[in-house]
Amino acid sequence: MGTQSLDFAEFYRRSRDECLRTVLISVGDQDTAQELVAEAFARACASWRTVSKHPAPAAWVVRTALNANISWWRRRRREIFMPDPGVVADLPAAEGASGSPVDPRIVAALMRLPARQRQVVALRLVLDLDTSHTAELLGITPNTVMAHMARALAALREDLQPERQQETRS
Amino acid sequence: MNHPSMTDDQLATAVRESVTSVHMTIPAEQIVSRSRTIRARRRMPLVAGALAVVAGAALAVTALLPSSHQPGHPATARLTAWTVASQANGNIRITIRELRDPAGLQRTLRADGLPVNVSFSGPPPNPSCQPYPTSKRQLRSVGQFHPGQKSAVMVIHPPALPDGAGLSIFDRPGIQLPPQAKGLFPLAVGLVKASQQCTGS
Repeated sequence: MGTQSLDFAEFYRRSRDECLRTVLISVGDQDTAQELVAEAFARACASWRTVSKHPAPAAWVVRTALNANISWWRRRRREIFMPDPGVVADLPAAEGASGSPVDPRIVAALMRLPARQRQVVALRLVLDLDTSHTAELLGITPNTVMAHMARALAALREDLQPERQQETRS
Repeated sequence: MNHPSMTDDQLATAVRESVTSVHMTIPAEQIVSRSRTIRARRRMPLVAGALAVVAGAALAVTALLPSSHQPGHPATARLTAWTVASQANGNIRITIRELRDPAGLQRTLRADGLPVNVSFSGPPPNPSCQPYPTSKRQLRSVGQFHPGQKSAVMVIHPPALPDGAGLSIFDRPGIQLPPQAKGLFPLAVGLVKASQQCTGS
């Protein structure tokens, strides 16, 4: 394994989980997110000489994964049925503690957000990108990023608060 | 947590914590292996470009050509513009260095039993050459295309040609090439419906 491969292996080791979590929040399904991120990392590895010079290679991977997701849906949109967010939201709260690695209440609340807001939340909170990098990656203005973030947080606050109070009471 | 309303920081923490136990389970070796496949695929960018063009209505083709095969030629015919080599495994290796003498190349390939139409710029579209519906996978099974900056090499596997299909090797001004093919030898390969008028058989 040459230096190039070693560098990529180190990058993969350091970034894979945060990339997966970011994409998971955007797409809402762990298996799909893992497939998309794996493919994006493979593309990064195939072009590692270029990607390694990118100011934020992890952001490159996430953007590639999200773009691949759009292509994936376009190819299969006539064959795949979207899960009903309402059904996801009604999952029992205990399921998170019984094997699933994600908190279903928060994931359900995230899935009820519009796709763009979800992407902004994922990039800002999980990948820890600042507003300008998030804007650049999504091809929107920083002001739009801030507006999406504010709306997303407001919606999440409203969505999660009653459940947390209920949890405290029980 | 019994706050009247969660702060932004608390929400951010809740979102982060909701996925902290999610981990990528695919080993790096698998990713690197997949990247090799991607790199190998990039060596054939013009095949994909050719598909897009072949899917269109018209193909640039030369005038009608001889309908019978010439007598077999030596295993390797060497010309300045192109080289055709019949390989022991039945594959035909074509190296094109200059877009000259398309008729000669077409004649040589047809003599090898390959239903083919070769066109290097200029002539109006020949309505006899119709695109053959195919997939990238099928096209790749027929041949591999390695375009370089100064020449293009293609290795054709004739038995993999679908029934009723022939090959079209062409150069067309304004051809839609994928971005990664910029600067490469301006040639494309696609499948067409075999016919006497188009591919000679």
